[in-house]
Amino acid sequence: MSTETGASDSTGGSASSSVNLESVRAVAKKDFQDSIRSWLFWGLSVFFFTLMAALAGFLSWANPDDLTTIGFISLVSQVCKLVIPLIALMLGWKSIAGERETGSIKVLLSLPHSRRDVLIGKLLGRTAVLTLSLIIGFLIGMVAVAVAVSEFSFPAYIAFLAMTIVYGLAYMSIAVSLSSLTRSTTMAGAAMFGVFVLFYIVWNSIQSALGLLMNRGYIEGVDYTATNFAGQQVERTRLPDWAQFINMVDPGNAYQNTITLFSSLSSDSIGTTFNEAAFPNGFPFFLQDWFSGIILLFWIVVPLAVAVYRFDRVDI
Amino acid sequence: MPAITVDNLTKSFGQTVALEELSFQVEEGEVFGFLGPNGAGKSTTINIILDFARPTAGEVSVLGMDAQQYSRDIRQRTGVLPEGVKTYDRLTARQHLQFAIDSKNADADPEALLERVGLVDAIDKKAGGYSKGMAQRLMLAMALVGEPDLLILDEPSTGLDPNGAREMRDIVREENERGATVFFSSHIMEQVEAVCDRVGILRDGEMVAVDSVEGLRDSVEGGTTLRVTVDRIDDDALQAIRSLPDVTNATVESQDPPTVVVGVEGSKTAVLSALEDRGIEVQDFSTTEASLDDVFQSYTTDTGVHAR
Repeated sequence: MSTETGASDSTGGSASSSVNLESVRAVAKKDFQDSIRSWLFWGLSVFFFTLMAALAGFLSWANPDDLTTIGFISLVSQVCKLVIPLIALMLGWKSIAGERETGSIKVLLSLPHSRRDVLIGKLLGRTAVLTLSLIIGFLIGMVAVAVAVSEFSFPAYIAFLAMTIVYGLAYMSIAVSLSSLTRSTTMAGAAMFGVFVLFYIVWNSIQSALGLLMNRGYIEGVDYTATNFAGQQVERTRLPDWAQFINMVDPGNAYQNTITLFSSLSSDSIGTTFNEAAFPNGFPFFLQDWFSGIILLFWIVVPLAVAVYRFDRVDI
Repeated sequence: MPAITVDNLTKSFGQTVALEELSFQVEEGEVFGFLGPNGAGKSTTINIILDFARPTAGEVSVLGMDAQQYSRDIRQRTGVLPEGVKTYDRLTARQHLQFAIDSKNADADPEALLERVGLVDAIDKKAGGYSKGMAQRLMLAMALVGEPDLLILDEPSTGLDPNGAREMRDIVREENERGATVFFSSHIMEQVEAVCDRVGILRDGEMVAVDSVEGLRDSVEGGTTLRVTVDRIDDDALQAIRSLPDVTNATVESQDPPTVVVGVEGSKTAVLSALEDRGIEVQDFSTTEASLDDVFQSYTTDTGVHAR
């Protein structure tokens, strides 16, 4: 091994940077026990439960005849898209930075866990807590809706729950990873807020901004012919593929797009939608709904990989 | 095989050098006191031993394994009481211990461990409500999980009352008798002198002395301080005393009455004879042994007596 610099890592596959499943399990279990007792988490969960109950109750009352499981899923996914990042970021905020700030991470790392074990264990432990909240919320929603819906599709609902858990895992990966990059919970909190602003506000305006740039001629658009309401052929311009792709990258859109894969939900109603006429040669693969599954996977793996790389090398 | 070998270890944080070419060994089966004032680099050393921090240069091996490459194996066989203990406020003592037991894949009973540290009454209470001393006891119990070959205790007496500190020392002795090597850091000499076989004194990132408690006592000038009250004193007499082989230093403490303070390693009578040979009348004299605190002071400050 190198002894020259502080940044030198142990040579590949060494005992201290490996992943041990028993260790991951022990860390995840401890972290689950710890974070499930957080008041902040339960506060947000109760907010989520209330929203689910209110939404389901309102739908059953207002629209009993047309209400379907799919229709319910479509609406609930809008709620989840916005509320789950909030719960995940709050839950993951202090996961590592908090332990580094107080010094309790030394308790964790004086036991035979590698830093990777700690990161993965934390991610899984906190995702398990989030999952518990999701299951309760979904049960509440189900009870309220199942009464009203004539044919409740249990498999579709379970698939929807599973996708929502994966979505939660993606945001938790972002949260835990950002939390591992700093020793200060203030910095970590700022990072969480940054993510929130990025995907709640900034991301949605990127498309409009690019559209504006295209109209001014800074970006070359793609021309296509469409049929208007009067049945006439008109020349239109759309944003190039790469610009459209930006919209796909938002974890929330990726989540909603993947739901359409597992249910008969039309991709017109949720997630990103593209005008088919604008793509006479078909959608490029990266604008298709299945690619959103990869994007969601990206949001789970990449933040974690960056965190593992960094966290393995820093002084605690 | 030594339990811990630190070899030319240097650690800098930017421009600040925390440790400079530090080298020492802790032998297997001994209780080693790692002594130094706050800020001397004790925690940095322990952090590198446990791979919490990476060395700038030099090597550390623990239980015969490289501290960085085999950190997990090392920590599997090591019990650690970290400095400035922080418990998980929302977890009980039982959950804390169960976590350590799960982590080490050990076969241990949380109740028996808490019994040993005197915390069994609070086993199902959340650690958030513990006093500092109780938290320290809990952390000690966690360190004992799995009968470790090496115990690293960083300032273990913090927050403990004298009774608790005594119990802590008893446990250190018991663990040592079981066969464990104990590495015990402290900034207070009297805490280490009662249990340690050897003591290393760290100052500004450098090891200034490594010896047994007795050896340290002997190594310091003024191992015995002789205070002699005379009727008069002159430079010649002072020079004569200083030139004696057993004398390490001699100063005039006061002129009224003239008092000479002499650090002596061996015969005190030689000093008295030297004075009397010059016709100086010795009116009174007293001797004091250097306390271990003096020893520590001498190594870690620039004032007072000086180490050879």
